[in-house]
Amino acid sequence: MGEEEKAEEKPKEKFTLHFPTENNLSIMGIVVGALVAILPWLPAIVKGVGAIVVILWGADCVRKTARYGLGTGVPSIGVLAMGYGLVGGITGIVIGSVPVLYGVGIVEPAVLIGVAAVGAVGYISGILANSEKFIGMKIPGLERGMAELGMAGALAVIIESSMIAGTWNASVVIPNIIENGVIATIFILSGFGMLQPFNSCLGADERRGRTLLVSVEIGGLCCIIFGVVASLMPAPSGILQGIQLIILGVIVWILFYSSYVRACLREAHAVVGTGLIKTMR
Amino acid sequence: MEPIVMVFAWTIVVIVLAFIACLFEDLESDEGSQSNPNSQVQLAPEMGYIHRYYNKAISGEGLSYALACTIAGTVAWMMLSQGITPVIAIPFGAGIGSLVHMIRATIPHLGREAAHKRFEQPIYMDVFYGHLVPIATHNFMAVVCITAIAYIQSPMGPLAAITGLQVAANNPFPLPLLCFIWGITVGAIGSSTGDIHYGTERLFQDRPFGEGRRVIYHGQICRYGDCGIRTSKDIVAFCAKYGGPATGLTFGLIVLFENWRTLIGMMAGGLTGGSWSPELASGVGIAIGLVIGVILIISNLYLVRWARKKFGPFVGE
Repeated sequence: MGEEEKAEEKPKEKFTLHFPTENNLSIMGIVVGALVAILPWLPAIVKGVGAIVVILWGADCVRKTARYGLGTGVPSIGVLAMGYGLVGGITGIVIGSVPVLYGVGIVEPAVLIGVAAVGAVGYISGILANSEKFIGMKIPGLERGMAELGMAGALAVIIESSMIAGTWNASVVIPNIIENGVIATIFILSGFGMLQPFNSCLGADERRGRTLLVSVEIGGLCCIIFGVVASLMPAPSGILQGIQLIILGVIVWILFYSSYVRACLREAHAVVGTGLIKTMR
Repeated sequence: MEPIVMVFAWTIVVIVLAFIACLFEDLESDEGSQSNPNSQVQLAPEMGYIHRYYNKAISGEGLSYALACTIAGTVAWMMLSQGITPVIAIPFGAGIGSLVHMIRATIPHLGREAAHKRFEQPIYMDVFYGHLVPIATHNFMAVVCITAIAYIQSPMGPLAAITGLQVAANNPFPLPLLCFIWGITVGAIGSSTGDIHYGTERLFQDRPFGEGRRVIYHGQICRYGDCGIRTSKDIVAFCAKYGGPATGLTFGLIVLFENWRTLIGMMAGGLTGGSWSPELASGVGIAIGLVIGVILIISNLYLVRWARKKFGPFVGE
């Protein structure tokens, strides 16, 4: 759990933000996400950190998939990620809840079957989109990006369901998350965490560090809203788990929102109170 | 009161709410140049056209409204499940949704204008602060209407209380999911209908009318208003006269035709008593829908022909 806590501490150091490189962030996302997913007894605050890391990973995947000229397609890529995520996440939750596979008690790795399956589906769809025999889009790194997007989406669904309901067991998740419609909130909030950063920051002078700050900020917002929902849920969730999440969310949101705004104002061409526009002719 | 009369009455309420929601949705998107016209506002500094518009790119209208409405629906659902009255729960939820929408609206203006550094586009702080409250208030009007529609249709709403019909009058989906679906729909209709009035009329007011926008004009937007330099707030007053109401009418008519044909079909299938026949109900509903579709297509063709004759000929014809 050391790496992501280090990533949270960074903004205090006078805006010298160093997010891990793309490969390291992928490894970090998959390791932290898988660990938090297979240990459903963890406290909600740790799951919240895991969800933030997974959303950050997804946003970085969207950025590296979409920066080759997908301007208005950025939101579609994020929604695609969460579409894969819902399929993979619910598959994993249902397979993981089969009594034979669930019987281990402390470590429950069967949920990762859904994540792996949707990763494979994403990779195949990337090949279909890129191959000249089929669509022939020829976007560099699309296969890997699609696989990672699917896995990040699935992990986000699993971790956030487990954050709200206290566990990802299907007997709890289906009545408490899916039947009452909270799944829509999970879908759109995690989707926004992945798709909004690059969509809102794109331009000629876009910078990766600044873009990813937005993702962590939305992760904090997710924790606040899911914390409020979790505090109304029956056991094993409840008010104690909810308050942990709300505190984590408020701290992360204030820290990263303020550092994003300051980074933008510092890196813009000029910040003026008001003024006329430059005339051309 | 007869149960079927109550169903028709609530349908009328839903249609009126849909009209108001989509009207304000379109005006809110014009407030910060969201969705289609945003590409021109984004392109303008790259063409050397430094501007004072608000650059609000919250991932397209459909998704940004899905976010605001889903959060509103989730908060309202939580309050309703604690026994709080809908008159308080729905506006409170919509307020939280609008607050989140306003926070999301701050991100793209700062991020995208900072990403225009090499084109010397400054961040005007009066433009930034001045647009946030209008964005939140217009958004609140749309979101409160959408949440109310979802509440009316949800299993905890008034339609569920109507008994005596052959089938349940309410929608089986829970409140947050209905808010999500309605949010995407209202955003999609607002994006496809209303933005034309802003994008091709207002942003290119200094170009010839009605000929479409050639690629050579892209990014060369109209930056001056009737008096002084134009900001996105001037757009709303312009679009409130035609674009917004037209968008609201579109959405209202979609909801009207859809629900009317379904209800008439179900009445033909024996909804109010006697023998209930789902096959007859869906068959009559589909037939009425096809007739409405054909009438709309013919009248649209006639309207386009009339407009081209009256205002044309256009470049390229």
